[in-house]
Amino acid sequence: METVAVIFGGRSAEHDVSIVTALASIIKPLELTKKYRVEAVYIAKDGAWYWDEKLKDINLFTSGKIQNLLERTKPVAVEFSGGMRLIKSAGGLSGRKQVQEIDIVFPAMHGTYGEDGSLPGLLDMAGVAYVGCGVAASALAMDKVLAKQQAVANSIPVSKFVAFTKAEVQTDNTAAVSRVTSALKYPIFVKPAHLGSSIGISRVQNDTELRNALEVAAHYDEKVIVEEAVQNLIEVTLPIIGNDQPQAALLEQPLTKAEDFFDFETKYMQGGKKGKGKGSKGAQGYSQLPADLPPALYQAAEATGLAVYKAFGCSGIARVDMLIDSKTSEVYFNEMNPLPGGLYAHNWQRAGISSIELVEKLIAFAKERHAGRQALATTFSTNYLQQF
Amino acid sequence: MIRALIGLYGWRYPRTLVYMLQSTEYQVRPYLAWVVRTKDFGQVMQRRQLVMTKAARLLIEGLYLAMAALIIVSLSLIYVGHWHGVIGAVPLGVIILLIYPYVLAYLAVVPLVLGRLLISRPRERKLIVQSEKIFAAHPAIKIAVAGSYGKTTMKELLATVLSEGKVVAATPANKNVAISHAYFARKLTGKEEMLVIEYGEGAPGDVAGFACTTHPDRAIITGIAPAHLDQYKTVEAAARDIFAVADYVKESEVYVNGDSPAVVNFIKPGYEVFTNQKCLGWQIKKVHVGLGGIKFQLEKGSKSLALESGLVGRHQLGFLGFVAALALELGLTPAEVRSGIAKTKPFEHRMQPYQLGGAWIVDDTYNGNLEGIRAGTALLQELSAKRKIYVSPGLVDQGMETESVHIEMGKLIAQATPDLVVLMQNSVTNFIQQGLKDGYFKGEVRIEPQPLEFYTNLGHFVAAGDLVVMQNDWTDNYA
Repeated sequence: METVAVIFGGRSAEHDVSIVTALASIIKPLELTKKYRVEAVYIAKDGAWYWDEKLKDINLFTSGKIQNLLERTKPVAVEFSGGMRLIKSAGGLSGRKQVQEIDIVFPAMHGTYGEDGSLPGLLDMAGVAYVGCGVAASALAMDKVLAKQQAVANSIPVSKFVAFTKAEVQTDNTAAVSRVTSALKYPIFVKPAHLGSSIGISRVQNDTELRNALEVAAHYDEKVIVEEAVQNLIEVTLPIIGNDQPQAALLEQPLTKAEDFFDFETKYMQGGKKGKGKGSKGAQGYSQLPADLPPALYQAAEATGLAVYKAFGCSGIARVDMLIDSKTSEVYFNEMNPLPGGLYAHNWQRAGISSIELVEKLIAFAKERHAGRQALATTFSTNYLQQF
Repeated sequence: MIRALIGLYGWRYPRTLVYMLQSTEYQVRPYLAWVVRTKDFGQVMQRRQLVMTKAARLLIEGLYLAMAALIIVSLSLIYVGHWHGVIGAVPLGVIILLIYPYVLAYLAVVPLVLGRLLISRPRERKLIVQSEKIFAAHPAIKIAVAGSYGKTTMKELLATVLSEGKVVAATPANKNVAISHAYFARKLTGKEEMLVIEYGEGAPGDVAGFACTTHPDRAIITGIAPAHLDQYKTVEAAARDIFAVADYVKESEVYVNGDSPAVVNFIKPGYEVFTNQKCLGWQIKKVHVGLGGIKFQLEKGSKSLALESGLVGRHQLGFLGFVAALALELGLTPAEVRSGIAKTKPFEHRMQPYQLGGAWIVDDTYNGNLEGIRAGTALLQELSAKRKIYVSPGLVDQGMETESVHIEMGKLIAQATPDLVVLMQNSVTNFIQQGLKDGYFKGEVRIEPQPLEFYTNLGHFVAAGDLVVMQNDWTDNYA
């Protein structure tokens, strides 16, 4: 039986979202397959790693008892030399050191130090198979500025945007505002370039709001992106899985008014109660599934999503967010999410793939990519050293 | 091993025993059989919780007292044996200490047996005698419903449809034994025009006994299938008992479900036989079966009546057609019959369809007989779906027929050609698998060692386009 380590939590603003993704959408279905030994590896907010069977229980986190557990548990030592091993120091009745070799890693980390390519980088170094996008795709996706530039380079339409560093915003906020207003028209969105789950995002209508929003975004991130709002907006999102032959789920339309764009509270805390009309309650609250679009527009959006997935070199799983101008039928790439919250299992289920099938497919994609990489030549014999 | 010992000698053991008694409805034999085959008492309480009734509380307190007494006695014996040299006291004390859990298990039934003999039975007998007088004097048309399966469905259908035009009273839920009839009789006002009484057979002589008490005017036999064979031994014996009700009504007022193959040898020429094609002179035509219900038309000469029910499965047709025809015969108008049939909906856990994550689930977990399995697998075969899944632990109380019934069940499942069969691991799993093999089943079979985990997490297993038929569910006392 292969051992899968599900790594979750982490030093990220989306720490709590990661816990729910790991426990509800990954660990439970993986265990139900009865094909894998599943190890829960939790990274606390301070960055310490823990490995314990008790970490699979959501009540531990919802009740706040996690703190008690962490206080009386030693962090696990993780070895990344020629694979991945979890090592628990000697203790307990047996007094034996516990070592667990990991065959596949299933990262369930959202945001920084996880979804941004850091964890895939570590796992690449270790040479262990893992689920989801690699370093490059993750890093691109998690930088909204680089992501837009990558899309433009691949002839995928994006809304007009301007980018700033934190220093640029903080040293001369007025210049930043005038640079934005000369290039873009209100309403405008201001976002930290690397954060997900709508943290630090503002929708602004005038210079004063813009100035404040830039400061808020710069408070969260080293880089800020400012985008012109798409008119006659229909916001859609498309979960995709696969390596070389990606497969799309259903195009999903969050049911929010333009002025009530998703913020963190709406997405995760209120169950999407700001949403209007009928819809299904998914990981991000109420949404229309599948999106009610004319067939040609639906196909265009799906094609754009798949094109983005390929252009970014994604593998395993990702979700592409797009904006549609309903009058012009123009589809714009907005953002790419290398690890959709809850894997967007609700969408895959409606698309005909159960959560168990989903995690099994993702494991298979991880193994397929890993096998491909193993087959690559990584050494090259030279007489360079002899000549030195 | 250690866990099993904790289960046996642990503090919660008396509660476990009372849970076992409660789960077997305080029936001594099934309870003791369960005690004997239990290897780990710590693992007994899986599916439900102990309901803290007055009786349960009294029993728990009594068992704790008995446990304390046994431990004190055993320790005292060890003490006097060791310190005062009483010969044999130490081994006796040790033996008592070792076997006290088993002593407790048997002690638990003593108050039940005594209470039943000295209090319940005399009181019940008195109530049953009183009820016989109430039924005999009641002016309503009394309709008895008997059979190995479909009794509750038929009773509910009759009550729903006849209530559209008559004052009807029916025995509640599946309360279908003599004492339930007696309680039912006490609640009657005397103004009812129709009484629908369900007969729940359990052992030879039961049905004749019910008929003697309730004085039926009409009798409906819903079908014969292997059930309660631990008591009846053979299907024929069960059928004989069920058909005993026919001796208490006119032959022309005995209605038999002709779709049940096992009734053939018991049908007399004067009986009315109804099927899914004809009933009481009406033809059943223009049938459409779906997960939303059944549409059909009753036709007799130039007369026709289009009907629509929320019940699911082609096997319901005979029952629906018969109830509609009987209601017309009993004086209801076609509009009343149409309205009554339209009100019939699936009963909880009986061919009850619902959606889960875009998948269709047909919950038939209260079904416990081969004819029900036939109906469920036929429905799975008839409906189209992207992926078909069949889930069942098998059937209980099949006595000597256990092996043959489950092999037949396996063949029926194979015939329905599901993509995936999920079987809950237990004593009959191998027989079902044998039937699947005999039926040349080509799909995937998954053996589930933890049924509760599967049912609780069903949402993780299914997706849009799936059709799942779940038949029967074993409670802890059968697992």
